[in-house]
Amino acid sequence: MEVFIAQVINGISLGSIYLLLVTGFNLLLLVAMIIHFAYPQVVVLSMYIIWLVLGYTGNNLLLGTLAGVASSILLNLISAPLFQKVMEKRGEVDINSTMVVSMGMGMIITDVLSHGFNKGHPIAFPDTLAGGDAIVRIGLISILPGQVYAFGVGVVAVSAFFWLLYKTRPGRAFRAIAEDPSGARLVGIPLLKTGLQSYALSGLLGGLIALLLAALLGSASSALGEQVAIKVIAVSIIAGLGNLVGGLVVGLSLGIVEAVVQGYISGTWSNVIAFVIMLVVILAKPNGLFGLKI
Amino acid sequence: MPLPLYYFLSITAVNILMSWALYVPYRMAHLHFLVVANMAISGYAAAYMVLSLHLPFGLALLAGFAIGAAVGFLVALFIGDAPTFAVVIVGFTFIYIARTVIENTEAVGGTMGLFGLPNIGGDPAVHRWTILSILYGLVLLVGFLIHRFDHSQLGRAASAAFIDKDLTTSLGIDIRKMGILLQTFSCTLAGGCGVLYGFIYKSFHLDYFTFHVVGILMTFIFVGGYTTLWGAVLAAPVLYGVPLLFPPEIASWRIVIYGALLVLVLVLKPEGVITTRFVYRVEALLSRKGLKQPPSTNP
Repeated sequence: MEVFIAQVINGISLGSIYLLLVTGFNLLLLVAMIIHFAYPQVVVLSMYIIWLVLGYTGNNLLLGTLAGVASSILLNLISAPLFQKVMEKRGEVDINSTMVVSMGMGMIITDVLSHGFNKGHPIAFPDTLAGGDAIVRIGLISILPGQVYAFGVGVVAVSAFFWLLYKTRPGRAFRAIAEDPSGARLVGIPLLKTGLQSYALSGLLGGLIALLLAALLGSASSALGEQVAIKVIAVSIIAGLGNLVGGLVVGLSLGIVEAVVQGYISGTWSNVIAFVIMLVVILAKPNGLFGLKI
Repeated sequence: MPLPLYYFLSITAVNILMSWALYVPYRMAHLHFLVVANMAISGYAAAYMVLSLHLPFGLALLAGFAIGAAVGFLVALFIGDAPTFAVVIVGFTFIYIARTVIENTEAVGGTMGLFGLPNIGGDPAVHRWTILSILYGLVLLVGFLIHRFDHSQLGRAASAAFIDKDLTTSLGIDIRKMGILLQTFSCTLAGGCGVLYGFIYKSFHLDYFTFHVVGILMTFIFVGGYTTLWGAVLAAPVLYGVPLLFPPEIASWRIVIYGALLVLVLVLKPEGVITTRFVYRVEALLSRKGLKQPPSTNP
């Protein structure tokens, strides 16, 4: 029972990161109308930037965080014209093409990370980032500061995001575009500007996720992005593409299931079980459990 | 035949066939990456049959095709009419699961891989010519079949489904059946390619069946042109061959080069280098030349 509770705690912190990732991914999908497959790779690149800056500044957390967030926002904004251009060439919204462009970006980021940083070896973050020893320890059950940060920031960030989406003017613009882009344009909502805001916002979320992942995992490798990318899109599909509430439920559930399985089955097999569960659900319900929103 | 030329020719043929395996279901907008997982599953299964059960190569190759077809068909029953992104994720998930299962299965060499596949016919020269003959025979056969498909009612139905699935359904076309057919065909092809790929190097290692392969194949069809089968025929030898001429420091960045090419082509020329219009123009030119044949000398 102790193992189960310990793994549920691990799962909640991991799930908090998944739900942030899915939220950022869905925001781009709904407002910018792109399937940003490389979004998790952008997050992993930001983790590498945080690692670099921490190394150069003697583990200055503030500068590391700022660099991570800035790089994520910048990368997202740089990619915006590419996606716009693809859609212009097609003369229509074509999320499949944007997905392929995004996969190309993912290939570039993954290979640059595997060649250009730390001679291709995985990177390790300083212990100070994870916050040191456990806050609570009862037998096998322990709560680490990194887990508390992940859960706390996850809850605050998602709450702030939903507040922004449902209680503010830019949020209404986001929802209007997600609902009906042509209608939104007719009532005077600037599609390009709002689209760019969604890139910046998802970039901001990406920077935060990079920091949380660094604190929770303590290390990163170039292959991390691909693995997380598959999970994020799988969560998004299981929830129903573009379904924000579904993404929250499924993201958190996947984190918990994955952690619980890891508690009982060793290493790589546990990941396979998570993937098999995702596969079965996708095969059974390709349009998602909560319904498509695009 | 020099060994580098043999490897270039054989891997180019595998690349063309695998690009076509992606091309066929993409005619109805299904990016079916299950083909890469199928390549690994069929290849490892066939290698196990040859090494442990001492089956002859021919039977193992047939088994590879059959395993590919079976896996492809079973999965297609569920995702024959699924949206593109769901098909993509099913493919990626399968690659990950297949890799992990193979990695942890000692009977197929685990992380070390499988080595010591025998020469077909005993002699290395016979082996190489046999592999090349089978591969290029397959290229001709599959190329002919895809050409016929592209010019058939089914091909036009797939083109319609690429643009608008709902409209295609309303015209009475069974999207699910078409998806099952195209996905099964592509997986069958991938199964055979997996076996042949292993017999080219006479070994199997999981390093080949990574997400990089997906990127490379995607680059071949999108840069070459995804609207016609000729795109892969042009892109596979050029994109695989040119980096081989680069100095090692640059060649090691070839995935970055592929990624950049992929993004650039999709942004600047979304249909790729060889377009349907280009192919029609060439076909028209050839048929006009055919009409202008010199008159017969017979009275």
